[in-house]
Amino acid sequence: MSHLREQISALIDGELAGADLDRANAHLAACGRCREEAASLRQLKRELRALAAGPFDLAADQATGSAPGPEGADEALTRRLLSMAGPGGPVPSRRFRREQFLRSRREQPGGRPGGSGTGGGGLPGTSATRRPRADGQPYAGRPPREPHRRGRYMVWSAVSLVVVGVGAAAFSMGGNTAEPGPNITPQLQMFNVEHAINSGDVPFPDPTQAPTARP
Amino acid sequence: MSPMSVLRRPGLLLSAAMTITVPSVLATLAVVGHEHAIQEARATAVSLGADAPPASLPSGSESAVRPAVLAGSSAGRDAAAAHAAIFDAVVNQQHDGMRLLGKAATAGLNTSYQGVELIAQSGVTGTLTMISSVWHRAGGLTVTQTSDATVLAGSQPYVAYAGDGNSPEGVFGVTKPLVTLLGKNYIAMFTGKGSAVGRPAFIVELDRADGSLAARFWLDSKTLVPLRRDVFDTSAQLVSEDAFVQVQFGPLAAPPSATRPVSSQWSRVAAPAKLLLDLDGQGWQLPATLPGGLALYDAAQSKSGAGQVVDLGYSDGLSVISLFVERGTLGKMSGWQPVSVRGHVVYVAEHSITWAGPGFVYTMIADAPPKTVEQVVAALPQSSAPGFLDRLGRGLDRLASLMNPFH
Repeated sequence: MSHLREQISALIDGELAGADLDRANAHLAACGRCREEAASLRQLKRELRALAAGPFDLAADQATGSAPGPEGADEALTRRLLSMAGPGGPVPSRRFRREQFLRSRREQPGGRPGGSGTGGGGLPGTSATRRPRADGQPYAGRPPREPHRRGRYMVWSAVSLVVVGVGAAAFSMGGNTAEPGPNITPQLQMFNVEHAINSGDVPFPDPTQAPTARP
Repeated sequence: MSPMSVLRRPGLLLSAAMTITVPSVLATLAVVGHEHAIQEARATAVSLGADAPPASLPSGSESAVRPAVLAGSSAGRDAAAAHAAIFDAVVNQQHDGMRLLGKAATAGLNTSYQGVELIAQSGVTGTLTMISSVWHRAGGLTVTQTSDATVLAGSQPYVAYAGDGNSPEGVFGVTKPLVTLLGKNYIAMFTGKGSAVGRPAFIVELDRADGSLAARFWLDSKTLVPLRRDVFDTSAQLVSEDAFVQVQFGPLAAPPSATRPVSSQWSRVAAPAKLLLDLDGQGWQLPATLPGGLALYDAAQSKSGAGQVVDLGYSDGLSVISLFVERGTLGKMSGWQPVSVRGHVVYVAEHSITWAGPGFVYTMIADAPPKTVEQVVAALPQSSAPGFLDRLGRGLDRLASLMNPFH
């Protein structure tokens, strides 16, 4: 009797079907050596999966009785590789930290009345951390601010605009120290005669109308 | 310590003796010296009485001096009589000084004369020298033609009719209103005789309250028309020198032919203080007094192409400042020299200084020491670039004024 040999791996991986699967199972039923080899291969494969999925997933798989699929194993492997980047785990994004901070404030016992008080523990951006939309659809972009905060920002913006506008207008209007008036060039000839009346002396000549200078 | 132990100490005795003796000797010397001074003063008073203006002055001078002379010739040697003699002599000097100046103001109007005046005054940009030809007929026409000594031709002749209140009157600043102010701010003293432009003259000095010499006048001894005037500042520096270099009294030749009458463009204000009050309510910034003890004593108004012009005359009797104020901003300033006076940029043209104030243009013509002129410029409103807060505050005021429905 020829043993299964290469077909054992195909059998363990579930790659055999039809008459090949029936013939392999019939051989295993009759051959103790092939049964031992198949059992050892299955054990090895299980251990490899356990290494890739991690203890929690493995425990979850064991608890649910379902074996993780190849895609789930890849994700688990990715998470484990990421967890090996540093002792504190991967640095979360700023947005994640801000949302986590807001969530923690809402979850405080003396928190604001508008806080949801739900969630916690989930990844950011998941539906558990957000207030659900009325239509039940998930949010597409940035989460909306709370209404009272938005109103406060608007009030502050309006006040700032008014202050800046009034200040600029006042600075502009206060620039001219003198009221607008005609341009004056003193009429010295007329003034000199008047000064002569005041001073009791002869009128001075107007130097701005001086005739030719003496050579 | 007992009295006996004190008496045993000769040093203390000597000190006590000196304490009594020295003041006694000093008091005796003071009394003797005082008697000697009284005798000298008495002699001086007699001498002043002899030098008083004789024929041209009223007899009041001699009658006032006579008691002093009598007191000096009398046998009484008591100090009270001597002090009275000195006091009377000084009073007579002052009385004569003011009386001479008052008569000089009248003589400048009522005497016919013609001549050439040399006028040299210190200004903020240096000494200004002018030559003026003057022709005056008693109680009537006056023709003056003044020229800067640095130019070839003179200014246009100025023709005025004396006595109408709108024409220059007086010679070298000796006018009735100014002599009245002189009596309030200075002490006029007749100090004796001298001569000017080859003519005998009475000399009258003006002293400030601190005793420093402020001015000296030479008055023609025959007509009392001023022949010369020297003005000194508080540092005893000569700041103004006005003098006839040629003068002739009596019947005159025909007036200069190249003359044309000039009608006055000014209307006098009867109450200058009230004018200030009225203009203050309209936003004009006009002071009632200026630094240097210059008080408002005259005012006039006129119209120019730009609007109303106000002339305010400030004086202490000796220095005269005419301040011309009109609404507007400074225009074309050709012929004017920009000068910084105490941090303010002003424009100077010989005796005239002009600058922009807040909404007004100020033009000042001064017969005053440069130090006084600088003080006046610094005291009057100036237009300057405001600071940030000032500008903001003024703008807010204007905004509020615009938005005020009751304004």
